[in-house]
Amino acid sequence: MSSELLATRGLVKEFPGVVALKGVDFDLRYSEIHALVGQNGAGKSTFVKVLAGVYSPTRGEIYFKGVRVSIRNVRDAKKLGITLVHQEATLAPNLTVAENIVLGTLGKNGGVLAPLKTSDILEIARKYLEIVGLSIDPRTKVGVLGIGEKQLVQVARALAEDASVVCLDEPTSPLTAVEAERLFEVMKELKARGKSMIFVTHRVEEVFAVADRVTVLRDGYKVFSSEVSKTDPSEVVKHMLGREIERFYPAKKGAEGGNAGVPRLKVVGLTTSQDGKGVILRDISLEVYPGEVLGVVGLLGSGKTELGKALIGMNKIVKGEVYLDGVRVRVRSPVEALKLGIFYVPEDRRREGLVGIMSIAENIILPKVWETSELGLIRVPRREVSVARKWIEFLKVVPPEPNFKVMYLSGGNQQKVVIAKALKARTKVLILDEPTFGVDVGAKVEIRKLIRSLADEGYSVLLLTSDVDEALALCDRIAVLVNGRVVGTYRTSEISRDFLVELLGGRGHGS
Amino acid sequence: MARKLSLSLSKLGRPLRELLRYELGGPLVALMALITASSILSPRFLEPYNQRILLLQTAPLALLGLGESMVILMGSIDLSPGSTMALAGTISAMTFTRFGHPLSVSILVGVLVGLAIGLVNGLLVTKAKIPSFVATLASLVAGRGMVLVLTEGQPIVGLSQYRVITEEVAGLPTMVWLFIAFGVLNYFLLKRTSVGLVTYAIGGNEEAVRYSGVRVDAVKLFNFILAGGYYAVAGLMMNARLEVAYPWTGWGYELDAIASCVLGGITLSGGVGSPLGPVVGAYMLTLLTNILILLGVNPYFQWVVKGFILVAAAAALTRGVRYVK
Repeated sequence: MSSELLATRGLVKEFPGVVALKGVDFDLRYSEIHALVGQNGAGKSTFVKVLAGVYSPTRGEIYFKGVRVSIRNVRDAKKLGITLVHQEATLAPNLTVAENIVLGTLGKNGGVLAPLKTSDILEIARKYLEIVGLSIDPRTKVGVLGIGEKQLVQVARALAEDASVVCLDEPTSPLTAVEAERLFEVMKELKARGKSMIFVTHRVEEVFAVADRVTVLRDGYKVFSSEVSKTDPSEVVKHMLGREIERFYPAKKGAEGGNAGVPRLKVVGLTTSQDGKGVILRDISLEVYPGEVLGVVGLLGSGKTELGKALIGMNKIVKGEVYLDGVRVRVRSPVEALKLGIFYVPEDRRREGLVGIMSIAENIILPKVWETSELGLIRVPRREVSVARKWIEFLKVVPPEPNFKVMYLSGGNQQKVVIAKALKARTKVLILDEPTFGVDVGAKVEIRKLIRSLADEGYSVLLLTSDVDEALALCDRIAVLVNGRVVGTYRTSEISRDFLVELLGGRGHGS
Repeated sequence: MARKLSLSLSKLGRPLRELLRYELGGPLVALMALITASSILSPRFLEPYNQRILLLQTAPLALLGLGESMVILMGSIDLSPGSTMALAGTISAMTFTRFGHPLSVSILVGVLVGLAIGLVNGLLVTKAKIPSFVATLASLVAGRGMVLVLTEGQPIVGLSQYRVITEEVAGLPTMVWLFIAFGVLNYFLLKRTSVGLVTYAIGGNEEAVRYSGVRVDAVKLFNFILAGGYYAVAGLMMNARLEVAYPWTGWGYELDAIASCVLGGITLSGGVGSPLGPVVGAYMLTLLTNILILLGVNPYFQWVVKGFILVAAAAALTRGVRYVK
């Protein structure tokens, strides 16, 4: 056992109603990057959270340097030198970079009450920022940093805490390709310095870009483990899915060229206000026809999300016109958007899409709750459940229980519930913001099929995505968004992947 | 001995756990425990005379709690109950005594005053975008100020006609029937109507409800207005019970209203709790004062005990929550 830095045997973690880990054996060697992959809900995040003391294990053993240890909380983990870099940056945005980095080391030398000298803090911060290759002023407030920089600051903090095991929980999902590349460089540098890393991801190509070994979790079980050099991506994906991949992308109906007539949604010269947060959109013009999927492809920070929010009145439009079926409309709030049949399915489902503590049925009927109510006021639970059941069946939500609380659903099923909300509200224009983000591979296939079939049924879909392959496979036409401007609109049949990637100004971030 | 106790507890365990699964389960268990303990401590506790007084004292507080719960379930807070009940009671009393209007008109005026303050609170929160804590703190202060200006600090006497509210109908004072009726109404509104669903949803995740195209601000406004109406009814009940409108009526009652909600199992972060919780909570809070008086404890001591009980209730509610602010 002593050749391993960290090992688990038969690790089990039960949550009320769910067993997230069903007896996982795992080894981490010295100076190793060990990738942990699996679909959403496979138990990857739970596993690293158990190691980092966020959750305590229900059963099973954890060995550190060959000695059995018990990790009951984050402090225990940190004492051993196990640190988790969270998926969402867990830094205090109101403090400076330097303050955030030293935060975890406070109390180590001379207790929490030891006087802090600004110059010392800055020195420590500079040292670790250099290791992670960040050339920012440590006196910068964390709130103004980009998400990639925040990730690296988190890594720097882990190093400052003298971590020997750094667990990275899907660190690349919010990053652009360039930022991800930079993170990989840092990871390799840390490995050279003798650190071990557990790298959680659901992007298989990243495993082969950076990891030494790979372990696949599926449904709470370890199903595969291998040296990266002795396997290949298709084998890993096969184990992740546990079944043959169906056609990953659905076939497109021949909607090509059929865009005669009045567009369902037409946007002319849309410009958003300066005072809002996020990217300012400038002079955006586009059209979506009935039965069409229009892709708006842009990287993080291109203004995709801002565009979606502007179209439902959550971002202020200062100039430009919006037409629905040829009639000029003004959308000043989601209430008006809903009336017109425009629905935005947000990227951040948990925060903007769903009420976690309520049931699937209640979430689905919420937008037009008066429709299932007597006199528009008195709720009829039986009617709500039967309406919800219809959509649950149509979208194959698992579990198919109308009264199941949404917060316990997996990412893919949560996404389905948000889409069900939109469909139940009889949407005509469906704006989907990164609909397959953070969704497991199986659900991805289903959701993509669904998007295509909705378009074929006559819905107009505006697909906001950073996934080049997804856009090419699903969309009839693609508008390329860079820094808040549309730099070109193309028929999908007329554009090559390479050209699209070049337009975006970087490598495509496919899956 | 200890083993015996734990054995009998585990026997009790199953139905208890079954009960605790309901929203109102925790508060009801606490209520039963308090009633049992009180009846053991003082034989006079269960006497009809004492229970009648207890229910009469509970009534106004229950209405304050019901109003407060409409706001707390949305994740907001209302500090105006005490002042609103005082202002509604005062203006109603003045309409009756000084301007000589009939009782029915005076009662209507009182209710309208409550609704108006609720409207102001709601507009401050939804239109002026002032956090509810600050907006209703302003109403708390300004409302009390208006009462003192109007009454010049003097009680308004001659309200014996308000007694209709305390007269017995079918074995119980009208006031008690009133708070039972309002409890049922509140339950229906929150659990059986679309407005209720949206109220819970706002408390659960306001952002998501906005993105869904629901009229969040309209529902918020409605709840604040209705809450004001509940407080006004409480103020009229005070007029009836005391037959005098004191300018300091309801001083500090906003805290009792919030405490009723917490004791009734409504979480302050919103979205969780039974609509009947505040009624149970108000009864428990009143019971505590009552039993301490029956036992002849120094009356000032009740605040200390209430503080401890409140902490216990809040601790029970936050079980499973990882951290709070």
